[in-house]
Amino acid sequence: MIAYNTLVVLAGVGLLGAAAGLVGTFATLRRRALVGDALAHAALPGLCVAFLLIGERWLPGLLLGALVSGLVGVGVIAFLRRFTRIKEDAAIGIVLSVFFGLGIVLVTWIQKTSTTGSKAGLDSYILGKTAGIVLADVQLIGLVAAAILALVLLFYKEAKLLVFDPDFARVQGWPVGWLDFLLMGLLAVVVVIGLPAVGVVLMAALLILPGSTARFWSDRFGVILTLATLFGAATGLVGASLSAATDTLPAGPIIVLVGTALFVASALFAPRRGVVARWLDDRRFRRELREGAVP
Amino acid sequence: MTPVLDVHDVTVAYHRKPVLWDVDFTLDEPCLAGIIGPNGSGKSTLLKAVLGLVPLASGRVTAFGEPVARVRKRIGYVPQRNSVDWDFPVHVADVVLMGTYGRLGWFQRPGRAERQWAAECLERVGLTHLADRQIGQLSGGQQQRTFLARALAQRSDLYFMDEPMAGVDAATERVIFTVLKELRDAGRTVVVVHHDLRTVEDYFDRVVLLNTRLVASGPTATTFTAENLQRTYGGRLAILEKAGQAIREQRGPGR
Amino acid sequence: MARAGFVCALLAATALGLTGCGNSEGSRGEGPVRVVCTTGMVADLVRQVGGDHVAVTTLMGEGVDPHLYKPTPGDIDTLSRADVIFYSGRNLEGKMGEVFARMARKKPTLAVADAIADEHLLDGDGGHHDPHLWFDVALWSKTLEPIRAELAKLDPANAATFEANAATYRERLLALDTWARNELGTVPKARRVLVTAHDAFRYFGRAYDVEVRGIQGISTESEAGVGSVNDLVAFLKDRRVKAVFVESSVSEKNIQAVIEGCARGSNPLTVAVGGELFSDAMGAADTPEGTYEGMVRHNVRTIVEALR
Repeated sequence: MIAYNTLVVLAGVGLLGAAAGLVGTFATLRRRALVGDALAHAALPGLCVAFLLIGERWLPGLLLGALVSGLVGVGVIAFLRRFTRIKEDAAIGIVLSVFFGLGIVLVTWIQKTSTTGSKAGLDSYILGKTAGIVLADVQLIGLVAAAILALVLLFYKEAKLLVFDPDFARVQGWPVGWLDFLLMGLLAVVVVIGLPAVGVVLMAALLILPGSTARFWSDRFGVILTLATLFGAATGLVGASLSAATDTLPAGPIIVLVGTALFVASALFAPRRGVVARWLDDRRFRRELREGAVP
Repeated sequence: MTPVLDVHDVTVAYHRKPVLWDVDFTLDEPCLAGIIGPNGSGKSTLLKAVLGLVPLASGRVTAFGEPVARVRKRIGYVPQRNSVDWDFPVHVADVVLMGTYGRLGWFQRPGRAERQWAAECLERVGLTHLADRQIGQLSGGQQQRTFLARALAQRSDLYFMDEPMAGVDAATERVIFTVLKELRDAGRTVVVVHHDLRTVEDYFDRVVLLNTRLVASGPTATTFTAENLQRTYGGRLAILEKAGQAIREQRGPGR
Repeated sequence: MARAGFVCALLAATALGLTGCGNSEGSRGEGPVRVVCTTGMVADLVRQVGGDHVAVTTLMGEGVDPHLYKPTPGDIDTLSRADVIFYSGRNLEGKMGEVFARMARKKPTLAVADAIADEHLLDGDGGHHDPHLWFDVALWSKTLEPIRAELAKLDPANAATFEANAATYRERLLALDTWARNELGTVPKARRVLVTAHDAFRYFGRAYDVEVRGIQGISTESEAGVGSVNDLVAFLKDRRVKAVFVESSVSEKNIQAVIEGCARGSNPLTVAVGGELFSDAMGAADTPEGTYEGMVRHNVRTIVEALR
């Protein structure tokens, strides 16, 4: 019999992993993977400002603040890209560092001066803290995950087209700008609800790893999305379980390590596309060449 | 009769540098038109400007008498080969099927009819045997033909193609040109950005000569002259001219 | 080029020299002794002993967690201008060790908890002792002596006053100690269980015979895993403990998870938050809970009312 609290944590982190894997794969294919990272880091100052305004630890309010500042960060990236000579990767780097730095300053300042600052546990958003996940959190994550699944199924062909060939989509008359906005919006929401569990620093890994792992197992769009969702859920579940078992290790890093292990194992040992499989294939081909067996 | 395509005084600028300047031409009836010019002359940009992919600094484009945005269903597009990531996890059949999306409503999935039609388009370019191949595993010519099949699936009346024959083998080039001719014969118009001067006269009814500004436009026979080419390509034409001459002589009369 | 470099170096050296001259390096002027303390608990002791003859600045105010506190340049400045620094010690101010070492080279910098011999201390994490001594009131009263002694050294003229103040306050603390023991004694032993967010109350438990459990460890730096939460839920259900306590300086998320866990599963138990305790920080400066005695009384009353 698994303890209630463990079940709650597993459900929360598993659903989060699934949702992040799904949306993250779209973002990665759309070449916006690092924007997810920037979103996570840019959310920190928003958390702090929301806390200062609300004055107590009310999670929906804090997350709203995180969402707003995350989106502001993304807006700044777009602005830099469009109106200055700065390229996308530099813009992302700038926003990420500046916002995160501001966030750290605010967290430290709040801990020192606010009378309830330490109570808010704002510093737990940096690496995540899963032990305190309660049912209400799981309900929120579940709601978001369900909404994401519904939207993906609804907009499946539009999303596929948008991500593969946005110019062609425009020519066909699809509102690429709005669809992009929807995708980024979903990304932002997933990042923000994931912050209490995995933290700011590691959220990007949860977005990028499952999809990248799935690439080694298939080259069909739909299959990759499904696998990414499953890998994400599995990563969350296994990671949270390990963290629960050892009890002293923080959950965020363990979850990411599990995801990475899965990725490395796939990269090496996936049939046909893994490194080992390719090497064996290569060797066999060369052998056949020498023996004159290649037609 | 309303012209198929009317490009009126179009100017496009990137960061205040003009890339296209006062380009003005009309295609009155269905034809196979080639856009010709040196590198950097704005050929690709002209295509993108007509399609609404880059903003116009000034000017106006109409197709079939209406703004392009209103007749999207009648317009097909073959982009340059390097405009997509070929590592993307889709198969050839998936890509061609995307051509049918334009006639489907929001949230509507492509059904059996669409798949059937996409398969026919694939057959027409000779790629049926590669339907389940991931696009990164194709050769350049096969990739180009995939894009062409996708455009065919759009069932359009007016097609725009950006260097469809660049870097393809001779067999693919023949296949593509055959399809284009069939389209034209069936009453469609195809506007092609083309790079190879030697084949212009073989392929196109009309040419648009471009070098940031419009140099000339009209029927190939009267417009594709040495003098116009000189004005389009500047001093670089000596070698090209000689090559063109040589080929014409080789072919002999009655080609 | 070399000349510019030389001039810069000269300017820099001058600047450093000037700042060095700015503070009171052992040369105490007229007026009250300038004392800087870390926690409010220590500051309160100093004020009681020093009275009007000390001017006390506290670095960590209400609601601030001393385990995680990192000093700002402003704090370093304040510390440099002090005549004497008192801190709690035994690694409570986990991130300030280096700063204390630096300050100790220039002025008296004392850890009041060092006055208590190791054998009276409880073991903590990582080779250190548990620093939360102030919850054993009688034990904490022993730290008055080093404070009195140091103040007397710095301000010999008022040594007698310090002696008298310290004695009076010691009496009050011992009375408080007795009162606490009696109050807590009114809670039946089986119900005398104190569950808090982190392990700050072990000395309290030992002194007043209360069973104590925390979710996080002795320092709030350590993260509590789901395992800790599960263990606590099992413990609470087993002992049918109905009240848990949140702390003013620690996040209550884990406590909420524990409460929810107790309400579900087998043997559900409705657990409520019995109240907020002051653990590593005192209350607001202008309230009764802003003094050491007030803080202890508040804690004891809250615990007794909730558990009885």
